[in-house]
Amino acid sequence: MLRSEPNFPISTSLRRVLGVIFILFLALLLFLPRQSQEWLSHVGGPFARILEAPLHVVASIQNSIRHAWGHYIALQNVWEENQQLQQEIQRLQGEQNLFREQTIITSQFQQLLAYQETTPMTTLPARIIGRNVSNWYRAMIINKGNQDGIRPEMGVITHAGVVGRVVRVNPTTAVVLLLSDPNVAITGMVQKSRDEGLVQGTPQGPIHMKYLPPLSPVQPGDPVVTSGLTDDFPRGLQIGRIRQVTKADTDLFQLGEIDPIVDFAKLEAVLVITSFQPVLPSSSPKPPASPSP
Amino acid sequence: MGIFLDILLCFGVVLAQATFSTLLSAKGIYPDLCFILACVMGFYSGEHKGLMIGLTVGLFQDIFTPGGIGINMILKGLAGGLAGVTTHTFSTVTSLAIMLVTFALSLGCGLASLVVAYPVIDAPILFHALSSGLFPQGLYNSFLTLGIFWFIRYIGPSLSMVHLGRGTR
Repeated sequence: MLRSEPNFPISTSLRRVLGVIFILFLALLLFLPRQSQEWLSHVGGPFARILEAPLHVVASIQNSIRHAWGHYIALQNVWEENQQLQQEIQRLQGEQNLFREQTIITSQFQQLLAYQETTPMTTLPARIIGRNVSNWYRAMIINKGNQDGIRPEMGVITHAGVVGRVVRVNPTTAVVLLLSDPNVAITGMVQKSRDEGLVQGTPQGPIHMKYLPPLSPVQPGDPVVTSGLTDDFPRGLQIGRIRQVTKADTDLFQLGEIDPIVDFAKLEAVLVITSFQPVLPSSSPKPPASPSP
Repeated sequence: MGIFLDILLCFGVVLAQATFSTLLSAKGIYPDLCFILACVMGFYSGEHKGLMIGLTVGLFQDIFTPGGIGINMILKGLAGGLAGVTTHTFSTVTSLAIMLVTFALSLGCGLASLVVAYPVIDAPILFHALSSGLFPQGLYNSFLTLGIFWFIRYIGPSLSMVHLGRGTR
């Protein structure tokens, strides 16, 4: 391989001389007075300007890359953190919903328990675990049964009023027929006029109060309560309010239509009346005690 | 094992009827999932299987129903058996056959249940029950049965674990 020779060959001795001169020049620069250094600075200024521009560009690019990389890494962390927080929010929302549900159920049970403590009846709280297994009955299933002392024909209530009656009892569950079912009939009384009648559901849906006396001054809005003549409900439990009263010319009695006080579709917990002391209406007040002679 | 799975299926359907059927309610009309199970089994596997599944699911349904024990058992058993007989003896299993048979059986079972539930029934109540209960429910049951039947038939091979073998044609 041929080696190309330079056009102006420099001898080795001349190179050495030039090297020594360059070193001396550098050494001389160090020891030159400040003014001379400034002069050199002026000489090198334009070169510095030429070099500054690409230096700034490179520095800004480098800076940008560093920032972008930093942001990317940071964003990666933020994205992961965001995902974790989203999951956390979903979990907390689920928990919150659970707690809210528990609070509502607890509140309902508290209302029932408060009512249970104040009422003279012996009652057993139960939760509703199923509804309408058949289309032909308006019924619900509760989580208390034979083992808990539930028996057929026991009355079922809430703190608001009458719900229905137990018709079938299994070991740990019971079937309650609602007041709106035609197969349930309880004796009711219009609270204001004291007129009694038979409260019974209809296949069409509304609850009727049958056999109201023809001259009874029953008005829409009058409250209806249990009359206590049957064995399953004590006297005075709310059933609903009269919506309208009708009487055809050929009928012997008036017929009342009742809006039930209990919303059967939203029931979640009930009280089963296991026993109560019948309170008979006192027809006359007690005579005052006569002073002993 | 097959019998055990059948019993489990019946129990699951009764539980679904007691808990989730309100979600399927359309204007107060609930589908009778127990009836649908009996019919689908009758259509799919023949009268024998339809009868047995109907009797079982009806018995379970009776346990949680206010009426007397045995009513649903007999009605569902008959429905399952007749569904199998009509579509495997007198007809082939077509969409129209399934819909007509299910509707007729639903109407029959509904009328029988109505008479048992409300022994004293007059013409207005009967008309109301027919127009707002029996006919809509019959249609609902028919469409649901048809849908479930074709769904099971479509994914039938992968459901061989639950012994939904095809009956005699």
